[in-house]
Amino acid sequence: MRQQRKASALAAALVIIAISVANIAVLAQQTLDRTKVPPPGPTPVLHVPTWTKTQLSNGATLIVSERHKLPLVSFTITFIGGSNQFEPAGKRGVAAMTASMLSEGTTTKTGDQLSDALQLLGTGIGVGVGGEEGSLTFVSTTKNFEPTLAILADEMLNSTFPAEALERLRGRTLVNLTQAKDQPVVVGSQVFAKILYGSEHPYGQRTTETSVKAITRDDVMAFQKAYFQPGRAIITVVGDTTTATAKAAVEKGLAAWAKAGDKPSFNYPKLPELQPAKIYLVDKPGAAQSVFNIGLPGPPRNTPDYFALQVLNTILGGPFQSRLNANIREQKGYSYGVNSNFNYGKGPGAFRAGGSIFSAKTDAALIEFMKELKGIVGEKPITDEELKTAKDNLIQGLPQRFTSVSAISNAITLLVVQGLPDDYYQTYAQNVSAVTKDDLLRVAKRYIDLEHLAIVIVGNKAEIEAPLKATGIAPITYIDIEGNPVAGATPSSN
Amino acid sequence: MTNKRRVLSALALVLTISLSQPLWGQKKSSTSDSIQIPFETYKLPNGLTVILSEDHTTPTVAVDIWYHVGSKNEMPGRTGFAHLFEHVMFTGSGHVPYGLHDKLTEGVGGGNNGSTTNDRTNYYETIPSNYLESALWLESDRMGFLLDTLDIAKLNAQRDVVKNERRQSYDNQPYGRVGEIFSGAMYPKTHPYSWPVIGSMTDLSAASEEDVKAFFRLYYTPNNATLAVVGDFDPKQAKAWIQKYFGDLPQGKPVERPKVPLGKLDASKRLVYEDRVQVPRLYIQWPTVGSKHDDDYALSVMGSILSGPRTARLTKALVYDTQIASQVAAFENSAEDVGVFQLVVIPRPEHTLTEIEAAVDQVIQKFATEGPTAEELQKAKAGLELGFLRGLESNLGKANQLISGAVFDNNPAQFKTDYQKTLAVTAADVKRVANQYLTRPRIVLSVVPKGKKDQASKASESETVSMLTRGGTQ
Repeated sequence: MRQQRKASALAAALVIIAISVANIAVLAQQTLDRTKVPPPGPTPVLHVPTWTKTQLSNGATLIVSERHKLPLVSFTITFIGGSNQFEPAGKRGVAAMTASMLSEGTTTKTGDQLSDALQLLGTGIGVGVGGEEGSLTFVSTTKNFEPTLAILADEMLNSTFPAEALERLRGRTLVNLTQAKDQPVVVGSQVFAKILYGSEHPYGQRTTETSVKAITRDDVMAFQKAYFQPGRAIITVVGDTTTATAKAAVEKGLAAWAKAGDKPSFNYPKLPELQPAKIYLVDKPGAAQSVFNIGLPGPPRNTPDYFALQVLNTILGGPFQSRLNANIREQKGYSYGVNSNFNYGKGPGAFRAGGSIFSAKTDAALIEFMKELKGIVGEKPITDEELKTAKDNLIQGLPQRFTSVSAISNAITLLVVQGLPDDYYQTYAQNVSAVTKDDLLRVAKRYIDLEHLAIVIVGNKAEIEAPLKATGIAPITYIDIEGNPVAGATPSSN
Repeated sequence: MTNKRRVLSALALVLTISLSQPLWGQKKSSTSDSIQIPFETYKLPNGLTVILSEDHTTPTVAVDIWYHVGSKNEMPGRTGFAHLFEHVMFTGSGHVPYGLHDKLTEGVGGGNNGSTTNDRTNYYETIPSNYLESALWLESDRMGFLLDTLDIAKLNAQRDVVKNERRQSYDNQPYGRVGEIFSGAMYPKTHPYSWPVIGSMTDLSAASEEDVKAFFRLYYTPNNATLAVVGDFDPKQAKAWIQKYFGDLPQGKPVERPKVPLGKLDASKRLVYEDRVQVPRLYIQWPTVGSKHDDDYALSVMGSILSGPRTARLTKALVYDTQIASQVAAFENSAEDVGVFQLVVIPRPEHTLTEIEAAVDQVIQKFATEGPTAEELQKAKAGLELGFLRGLESNLGKANQLISGAVFDNNPAQFKTDYQKTLAVTAADVKRVANQYLTRPRIVLSVVPKGKKDQASKASESETVSMLTRGGTQ
C-alpha cells in the first residue's frame, strides 16, 4: 500500500509534463524515416582536467587536480618500481605480503583499532605492489580526508609487522595459491608468462608455495624500509580540494616521511631465445572449455610505435566488433568472447590474443585465430573504414577516462609513471590521427611474429589433443600447470 | 573488453545486489544531505517511463533502458529467454543492420552492454554527447522492430554464444554451480526463482523461434520499460528526440506481475556437491525477504556487522581469533520478491567443514542473543555516505540508481528513502532479524573435491547433489 500511494502521487505530477512533450513532437513524427541514421552533432570540446605539479621537500612529487562536483577526494601515493625491482631472488610474494601487513598494527594502534577507525570514517585504504609500481590509495569524503590520510601515514611509516599476522597471512596466501590452480584462466596466463619469459626474467616469475614459505618477518621489514621511499613517490590528490589545501594537508600528514630513495632503473635480463611456433598443451581433465593464450614478448610502453599499435589492436582484438571477436564469437559461435592486447610496461610486455573456447571447437578456433593473425600482418588488408572506426574509438573515448576522481587520478599519474608529456591528452587525437595503413602493416609484421608464437592451451587433453594435431598448425609440447615439461608425454608426431 | 560484455545472471544478480547496497546506502551526514540527483520524470502516452538527469561534467551521456522482465517471467522448460534476448537485442533490428549498434557506440569511443537478473533486463549505451540522437534511435528500433529481422539463424548463433557463456561462467568455473544448486534447493520446481537466470542448456536448445518471439511481444513494450538519459544534453532537445523515436511505438498488453511466494523451508537441507576443486567450501543460505520488505534494511546492516572488516563478528572469530578459516563472507542478497541471507567460508587446510559450521553457529547464536553493540551499528552505517557519493560519479551509475527506484518502487528518488531507512535501523531491529531469520530451517551446502564427500560438513547426513538434471555441460 505504502508503495502504491507514492506511485500515484508521482504519476499525477507527471501527466502534465507528458502532455506538453507530446505536443512538441507531433511535427517531427510526420517526417520520421527510421532507415536514416541520425547524424552526430558537432564534436564536443574535450576538457582535459588540469593539475599542478610540485616537489615536496622530501623529494616526492605532488600532483593536485581540483574537481568540486561532489564532496569527494581521491588520494594516492604511487611508487615507481615494483616487485620486479625490489623483491629479492627466491622471495617472490614479499611485496604483496608487506602490503597486507601494513594494516596489521602500528606503534600506537592494533590492527583492530586501525580497522575500526577506518570503518568509522566510512572508507578503506588499498595497498598494492605490482610488477613495476605500487600504491597506497583511498577515496574519502572531503571532511574525512585528513583523518584518513593520518591513518595511511601511520600504516606506511609505523607498522610493527606482528609475527602472528605474518603466519596468518601466509596461511591465507597458501590457500589462495591452491585455489588458483583450479582456475583455468589463471593457470593459462601464468603458464603463458613462463613460456615467454622463462624463470630468469621477472616477467616469467610468480609467487609460489616455496617462495611464500621462505618469507621471514625480517624480509618484510627490509622490504618496507627499502620500498616506501618519497624519492620514488608521486602523490596524487584529486577532487574537492585546492592545491594549497592539499599541499598543507600532505605536508602535515606526511611530515615524518624523511627524504630518501630514488627512482629505480628498469634493467631486465635478456629474453630467452625465441622458439619456433609451438602449441603448449596443459591438461585439465573434464574442462568444458579450452583457455587460449597466443603471443610473444612485445615492445615497452615507450616504443615510438605505441599509437600505431593501439590502432592495430583496436582493429584486431579490442572492441566487440574487432576482427577476432566478430569472427570467433559472433560469426562462429565458438566462444563467449575473445580479444587481444599489448601489455605495456617498462620492459618487453607480451602481445597476447586469446579467450575461452568451447572444447569441441578448440581446433576450429585455433585455425580462426591463426587466420586473423595472418590477416592482420598482411593477408587481409586493413580497410579505410576499419582505420577510421578504430581511430574514432580511441580519440572519442578519451573523456571516459575522466569520469571519477579515481579515474582522473589514474590518468594523470600514468603520465608521470610512464614518462609521458604533460600535454599527452591534448595531443592524443593528433597522434592517433597520424597513424597510416602503412604504419599498421609495418608494426603488425614487426610485433606479431607468426613464426615464433607461443600457443598455450589449457584444456581437456583427451578431447582436444588429436584435433589440434590434425590442424598441423604447430607441434605440440606437453606441460604441467607450472609450465614445466610433462615427463613421459606422448611425443608429438608433428 | 569483449569478455565482460553481455554479462549476466547469477553473477549479475550478485553484482546488482552488492551495488545496490552502496547505492541505497546513500546519504548520511550533513555534507551529503544537500546532495541530490536533479532529475525529471514523465510518461509517454504509450506507457514508456522517461527519466532525464543533466550533468555536464564530461561531454558524455548514458542512455539506459530497463525492461521489467527477468528470468522469473519465464516458464519451466523454457528458461533462459530473458537472458537470450539480452544477446539477440544486439544483433540488429528492423532498420538497424547487424554491427551498426556497435559502430555507433564503441566505434565512436563509447560503450554498450546489457545485463539480466531474475527481475529485470537492462540495456545501455555510454556515448560522446553528440551521439545521443543515434543512441535513442538504436534503442527505439530494437524496442519497436526487433522481430522484423529475427530469424532462426540469428537465434541459433546467439544460442551458441550463450551456451559458451554458460560454460565459461558456470561449468568451467570452480564453485560455479553453487548459485543454481541453491535456487533449485530453496524453491519448489515451479517457483519463478528456482531456475538460473542463464537457463538450462536443454531449454535453450528446445526453444522454438515462435516461443522466443511470443516472449518478446509480451514483455519488450514501452509500457514495460523505463528509459533514463543522464549526462551532457539539452533536456528540451532530448525530449523531442525521445518523442520522435519512441512516441509512435504501440503500447503493449498490460504485463501481469507474477505473485511470487517467499522462499520457505519446512526442514533444513544438508547437501554435498563434488567439484573439480582442491579446497572445499561451506555455503549456508537462509530464506529471508525481498528488497521491498522493510526487514531488508536490517538484514543488510546485519551482513556488514557479521563479515567484511577484520573486526566484523564472523571474520574476527574465524579468520583472526581461531584462524580456522582463510576467508568468510555473509550478506543479505535480495531480489524483487525473495531474498536469502547467505554465507560462504573458505577453510584453512587443517580444519574441517564440520568444525567451521559449528563455529559459525556459535557466533550467530551469540549475536542473536546479545544483538549488535552501538559501535558495531555505527560502523556498519558509516560507509553509506561515501558509497552514495561514489555512486553519483558516473552517468551510468546515476541512471541505474534512478531507474531501479522507478522500476521496483515507482519512485526514481527511492534511493533517498532507502538511505534514510538504513540509517534508521536500530540495534533492536538487527537483533530481531537475527532471531527471526537465522534460526529458521536453512540449506547447508558443502562443495568438496571429487571423490572427497567425506570432507562435507556432517558428511553422513548430507545428500549428494547431481547437476546432470539441470544445465549440464553437454
